[in-house]
Amino acid sequence: MRGTFIHLKRLLLASVACVLGAATLTYLVDPLQLFRPSRLAFYSNDTRVQNAGLIRSQSFDTAFIGTSLAIHFRQSDVDRVLGVHSLKLAMTGSNSRQQAFVLEQAIDRGARRVIWEMDDFIFVDAADIETDPYLSVDLYRRTAKGIASYLFSAAMAKESLFALLRSIPPLRHPLTKAAPYLPVKFALSDIDDIYALPRDFDVARDYNSGKALASFAYITAPSRSRFLGEGYDYDAMVRHFEQDAVGLITRHPDVSFDIYFPPYSILQFVAMRDASPETLKIVMDLTAHIAQRLTQLPNVRLHDFRAIKAVTHDLGNYGDVIHHSPVVDAKVLSWLASGQYRVDPNKPLASLDELKAQVEVYRVPQ
Amino acid sequence: MLFNSYPFILLFLPIVLAGYFGLGRRGNLAPVIWLALASVAFYAIGNWQFVALLLISIAFNYGIGHLLIVAKLGPSQRKAALALGVAGDLLVLGIFKYAGFAMENFNALFGTHVAVHILLPVGISFYTFTQIAFLVDAYRGQVAAYALPHYALFVTYFPHLIAGPILHHKDMIPQFEREETKHPDAHLILCGVIIFAIGLFKKTCLADGIQPLVALAFETRSPSFDQAWLGALAYTFQLYFDFSGYSDMAIGISLMFGIFLPVNFNSPYKATSIVEFWRRWHMTLSQFLRDYLYIPLGGNRRGRVLRYVNLMITMLLGGLWHGAAWTFVAWGALHGAYLCVNHAFNALMPNMPLALARPTRVAGAVLTFLAIVVAWVFFRAVSLEWALRVLRAMADPANIVFGREEIAALVLVAIYASLVWLAPNTQDIMGYDHGNRRVGEALRAGGMRPLMLYGASLVLAFGILGIQSHSEFIYFRF
Repeated sequence: MRGTFIHLKRLLLASVACVLGAATLTYLVDPLQLFRPSRLAFYSNDTRVQNAGLIRSQSFDTAFIGTSLAIHFRQSDVDRVLGVHSLKLAMTGSNSRQQAFVLEQAIDRGARRVIWEMDDFIFVDAADIETDPYLSVDLYRRTAKGIASYLFSAAMAKESLFALLRSIPPLRHPLTKAAPYLPVKFALSDIDDIYALPRDFDVARDYNSGKALASFAYITAPSRSRFLGEGYDYDAMVRHFEQDAVGLITRHPDVSFDIYFPPYSILQFVAMRDASPETLKIVMDLTAHIAQRLTQLPNVRLHDFRAIKAVTHDLGNYGDVIHHSPVVDAKVLSWLASGQYRVDPNKPLASLDELKAQVEVYRVPQ
Repeated sequence: MLFNSYPFILLFLPIVLAGYFGLGRRGNLAPVIWLALASVAFYAIGNWQFVALLLISIAFNYGIGHLLIVAKLGPSQRKAALALGVAGDLLVLGIFKYAGFAMENFNALFGTHVAVHILLPVGISFYTFTQIAFLVDAYRGQVAAYALPHYALFVTYFPHLIAGPILHHKDMIPQFEREETKHPDAHLILCGVIIFAIGLFKKTCLADGIQPLVALAFETRSPSFDQAWLGALAYTFQLYFDFSGYSDMAIGISLMFGIFLPVNFNSPYKATSIVEFWRRWHMTLSQFLRDYLYIPLGGNRRGRVLRYVNLMITMLLGGLWHGAAWTFVAWGALHGAYLCVNHAFNALMPNMPLALARPTRVAGAVLTFLAIVVAWVFFRAVSLEWALRVLRAMADPANIVFGREEIAALVLVAIYASLVWLAPNTQDIMGYDHGNRRVGEALRAGGMRPLMLYGASLVLAFGILGIQSHSEFIYFRF
């Protein structure tokens, strides 16, 4: 009996030693670069986690944020076209609470300019950032809880072990080449590749009018059209806009904000017009409010790309009703650089009125 | 409360164990009461609003059981008491689990808009079935009188309360009554910790590790052929390790208290037929459905046609037991159909030529696994339409993406497949023999001790490191 209790004790102590060993390994390798920058680091597409390390380890003067509509931009392109030293922090499906929180961290670490792709749906109701299950504020703030969750993690220990193996000279080359095809998160050797489309990506296959129209038919089908307006509540959205966007901007008067409304396909608004007109009204009213508010803030330049007919009416640019191709990404950067579609503070609703007129008359190709 | 959580592992379990064995020095009843109270506390943490329902259910069934076991009732009165008990249980289950579903269908049929929003009490399916079996056996005269604390513990026993296995009173209550279980048995505790560690690892590292891939099929609007297959296979393995992990953890925890729980999971994907699959998957549910539904319906005693009808009814109700949705009905119907085909095949081909036995078994295993994967698509999908969309994608090899993400997913799925088919299961590793109340004889003999101890410590460490804050068991929803 006594012998068995000794075995039990030995088992538990060995487990504690393993846990501490894994935590030490993660601390030393530091795959997220939370403790120290590394020249040999690899990067992950899991941006909600990866951003916490990028903000700590990278040098930058400009933060680029948005949702999936901003995810495929390459930092190198942003730097080249806009003449900045940027850090891309876009997060697929992110809401305004998450974006404002991440931006706040980036500003605290030195960002003097923010480029913000702003969708209307980021302002729908969501969990408060302090209790958000999808973004760990403790990791970003490097609290004891955040650091513990990073160090005492099997997933991070696995990444650290793989990184360690990859640092062994004979294994370095084959493992680096194989990493993107293996189930490891930190597989990208170039920060520029985070969530960017491969350079040999077949644009025509994934962005074409067939896909855009199929997506339109899908979201406007009677059985699904109610989802178009899910979470859209004008008062709540205005409240979130004021708290998250205006709050952040006014707290940082020394930071300049380039905010843009992305060039959705016209089908996005036509879907609402046909299947959920009350949602369209909320979107139009909300963006009118946003335009009026933002154009009055001295450190904001607002750009509206939603009424650029040559792009938004060419359905070949889209993979569904909102997501545009990398070709349009390049145009967005050039428009931002030229300021061609900057909203005039004296006429903040001009481009919105133009969009409304386009939506009214547009007929979906049969 | 979750087994895979720090509060449970570092606080709740050690306190309950210490209290149980501490009270065990003073008598045989106090530890039972302690464990029953701890079980109710376990349930109350997170499900406090349903504690009253659980206690009322226990009181109701114990009362009916008392009438059937102790009171001197005539045959018709006994029948009436049983009918009252079972009807009461099914009524409560029906209201909480199926009222919303029934109203949804009523609305769809008659164009009405009546809304019914009733929260599903966690574990209600398990504790209701457990007690129905008790009542039926009491009616059949197969139950001795049990003291209330033992009965309450049998129903609430926290290792099984929320996601099974479905316990049988004849198996459990005599164990609760034994005086020996109230004293710590170092060997059983050691084996329990190892089995718990294996289960924890399966859940936190394996099931949760592959979970993100499920989105490839079930959260993509139009998945490609490879995405649909990878997503469906990912779910197939996620559910396997999730459920298997839970079952191991339940057995491991219970073993620390000196109580042997029934095996609920025996490498089901190694089955070579659907009949065998159901003898290996959720074994206690299969036994319940067989003993308390299929056989009372007539089983195979009323001719071949009625046997198939009974199989279909049993599996349809088994499907509906898992959840109030047409997807679960479709899943049950598919498995019912599979079983009918399997039995028909066995009837037509009673004796396989020896030369064909091995290839037939291999073909049977492949076909069985594919049939199971197809059925899981209905089990996982949010609607029949969505399930059909995934299945259509799985049948369209012209649409293939096979990019980096899909290749990485394929590597992961291949690792999981090799674990499922090549690795021994927990019972084999630990020599767990529920019937003979034996476990870890090889460990006791000492031959494998260092390897097992240090292997288990690594598994436990990674199981703990894998704990995430939001990781419920899939079977919690049933």
